[in-house]
Amino acid sequence: MLASQSVLQDTALQSALGAQSVLQPKYGKWKRTIVADLLLTALIDAFSILVIFLLMSFSSAGDILLVGKGQELPKASLASTLERNPVVKLEEGKIYLENQEVSQDSLVGALLGLRKQFLESHPGEEYPGILMIQGDRRLKYDQLNQIILAASHAGFSDIRFAVLMK
Amino acid sequence: MRRHNKHLDFEINLIPCIDLLSVCICFLLLTAVWLHIGSMNVKQAVGGQSQAETVKKPLLWVYMGQGGQLTFNVQQSSLVPKALANLKLPGLNGQANLAELAKVLTQITAKDPGLKTALIQPQAQSSYEEIIGLMDEFKKQGVTDLGVAPL
Repeated sequence: MLASQSVLQDTALQSALGAQSVLQPKYGKWKRTIVADLLLTALIDAFSILVIFLLMSFSSAGDILLVGKGQELPKASLASTLERNPVVKLEEGKIYLENQEVSQDSLVGALLGLRKQFLESHPGEEYPGILMIQGDRRLKYDQLNQIILAASHAGFSDIRFAVLMK
Repeated sequence: MRRHNKHLDFEINLIPCIDLLSVCICFLLLTAVWLHIGSMNVKQAVGGQSQAETVKKPLLWVYMGQGGQLTFNVQQSSLVPKALANLKLPGLNGQANLAELAKVLTQITAKDPGLKTALIQPQAQSSYEEIIGLMDEFKKQGVTDLGVAPL
């Protein structure tokens, strides 16, 4: 009722299609109305399901580890949540510390360097000594052993193996 | 009695809802993590304490042998009977028999509930996957303080 008596009804403040139909009516050419109603409820349902699914798989920690193309992590069901710590990665027989390639001999020195950096930037704090090891599930223990030994030599007592959650 | 002439049915403007949901979907798709990575935590001794200072706790040593064979050795516990304290568990299809391992661990922890520490001694040729599988099984049975002995 109000809408039909409104001043706006007489003005040109309408949609482009509506205005065209009022100003230049083409009754002879178009008999059907051009403006069609879209059924938006189904679209909103689909969007809501997508949002719920994505929220369920959302992780606030983000991508802490980048897994290479040929690398498969071992699976475990009772794994702890990932935290940001120095990462040693074993990939194609090479060792990477924080994505920088290091040799087996220089690994202890590099780990000690990390420890020194932390103590300089956090004076008075105790070094947590946590090291993350990321390797392929088919690795043999003799390859892992050299990293575990290097970590022990550098005083990293807390070792965390990266695993895929089952 | 006064009658209401207003219509009860009305239309909600759905366009802002669609806008909001689209923005949400774009944000979640961009920040989605498809691989759920966790960590298996292991405490390694770095030799900071003398043996005299170390508190004697029940300890389970597990030696990984050829073909998935596991050898158990419970130390510093008088509650676990000898038959369980020194036990050999044969492998299954060249891998550790995790089902049997779960049974043995249940029996050992039932005898000594204070047993929370286990040390795994793999061989040079033991696979990383197998070691993690063992650790996972230990954690399931309540043995949470785990360590891996170097070669």
